[in-house]
Amino acid sequence: MKEANHPPPSQESPSPARGGGQCGGTGGGGYYDNPIVRRPVWTWEVPAYFWLGGMGAGAFVTASLAQTLGSADDRRTAADGFYLAAAAPVPCAPLLIGDLGRPARFHHMLRIFKPLSPMNLGAWTLTAFTPLAFARAASHAADTGLLHGPLRGLTRLLPRRLTELAGSLLGLTLAGYSGVLLGATNVPLWAKSKLLGGVFMASALSSGSAAVTLQAARRGSPEATLHRLATIESAASLGEMAVITGYLMQSGKAARPLTTGRFAAPFWLGAVGIGALLPLLLHRFATRHHGRTLRSLSTAAALCSMAGSLALRWSIFEAGKVSSEDQSASFELSKA
Amino acid sequence: MIDGYKRLMNLEEPLPSKKAKGFFTDTSLCIGCKACEVACKQWNQLPADGFAITGNSYDNTGHLGATTWRHVQFIEQAKANESRQEQRWLMMSDVCKHCANAACLEACPTGALVRTEFDTVYVQQDICNGCGFCVPACPFGVIDRVPKESTFEVGTAHKCTLCYDRLKDDMTPACAKSCPTASIQFGDVEELQHRARQRLGELKARGESTARLYGMPEGKEAVEVGPLHAFFLLLDKPQAYNLPEVPRLPRKTMAERYGWSAAVGIGFAMVAALVFRGGRR
Repeated sequence: MKEANHPPPSQESPSPARGGGQCGGTGGGGYYDNPIVRRPVWTWEVPAYFWLGGMGAGAFVTASLAQTLGSADDRRTAADGFYLAAAAPVPCAPLLIGDLGRPARFHHMLRIFKPLSPMNLGAWTLTAFTPLAFARAASHAADTGLLHGPLRGLTRLLPRRLTELAGSLLGLTLAGYSGVLLGATNVPLWAKSKLLGGVFMASALSSGSAAVTLQAARRGSPEATLHRLATIESAASLGEMAVITGYLMQSGKAARPLTTGRFAAPFWLGAVGIGALLPLLLHRFATRHHGRTLRSLSTAAALCSMAGSLALRWSIFEAGKVSSEDQSASFELSKA
Repeated sequence: MIDGYKRLMNLEEPLPSKKAKGFFTDTSLCIGCKACEVACKQWNQLPADGFAITGNSYDNTGHLGATTWRHVQFIEQAKANESRQEQRWLMMSDVCKHCANAACLEACPTGALVRTEFDTVYVQQDICNGCGFCVPACPFGVIDRVPKESTFEVGTAHKCTLCYDRLKDDMTPACAKSCPTASIQFGDVEELQHRARQRLGELKARGESTARLYGMPEGKEAVEVGPLHAFFLLLDKPQAYNLPEVPRLPRKTMAERYGWSAAVGIGFAMVAALVFRGGRR
């Protein structure tokens, strides 16, 4: 009857000396300070892809909306966004394939259609989005006289409105699924809040519209168009800040690997400061200026927004690896 | 054409299902001999993990991983507070839980992870392309990817197969076969669950008041991932064994996540539409 000597109440009252980690454990009262979940094996290719894919998708959506609803100036200017939407996904496939453990089997992603897996959905979305973005960019190239000969005739066959609509829907999926994918894990920083998909969506749209603004500023489009693009980009940045705030609040302690320590600088300074706040201020300041100053300010704002978007993806991605090793955050995530 | 596609992509029809097989790991019987670890490594031809010393009691295995499918934990509970009268040393052989709703299987984009005819979760090595999504998806931290430089099947995801090859020949999995104290019991899941309830009753009657089952259909740990086909009898709260209180199944929150993402996208589209329209006037 020696088990009877064990005083049971002690196990219900957590004290730092309790649990398996009694011998020097610093974790959450678990087995020593061993992590609960495995560390993600992905490398830099993944955040780079999220950034590029999101930006291309954001540019496509912005350009498509301008085609349907904008003035003649807006349409002409924003159509350059289709070039970026076509160019951005080009490195995406090599990045994704390079990150696989068995790159030669990349096509196994498409051997089934399984939208339940965000990664399968993303692979199909990228596969479908890329040719649409190329086709729409080609028809824009034909409009501007860059494309000649039989290819030009071919672009006339493209149903533009339909391509823009389908591309935009796929683009929005491409922009948002990456955050959902990270959220659909058991890494506390990624999974605790339900808003990471929204954060990545906002970041994709702000950087994508910034890419359109950048081209507009460089190509000398009318100032009214530039102002409108700046307004859209600023709205996206404001939205991004709002969603990031919600994301951090929902994450609570689980966000510590991101908000403190090694990734605090790239996150606060890079993603929030340079990526959202600075472009807002620059665009605000630019409304009072004309000509070259306006163009320079718009260019600077757009570049900041695009760079900040990369900082956001990278810092959340890398901090997630740290978070995966946080035993107490994992226990917190799995509390009843 | 469909047939050609199926052949090209190695798509097969699932086999007719048999009775669900699993493990009941009774930690009250574990003596920490690690015979299960060794037998598993031998049968499945898994490479060694090196000679790192963790300093955590007799546990130099560390954790489950791509080439470690059984892991014996050594939980030393020394006399550390007023309420504890004596030391105790808990041992537990951890393994893949073969969840009824497996997060790894749902995450897998290639269909490499399948449910077998024995209701276990299995990685088809010829299909897995090493995308790595199953790794952080598993709420128990079981499955892992072999590094690109290794002597083992490189770059793909691995975990316990419940000795699928042995099951095919009506043999007991290597770990259960080698366990000298019947701490690891193999059999039909239903039968094992019945046995586990009985055993818990016995221990409770003996005064082992902190004993509990982990992974039974009625347990709160089964709320999201479902009953575990490899389940446990524990002598302390799950946390002491690094087991999550309610293991999360990512699918459960996926719709909400997509919803927030879509809301941001629609919001942006509406603002952009208004701004562009305003420019037309």
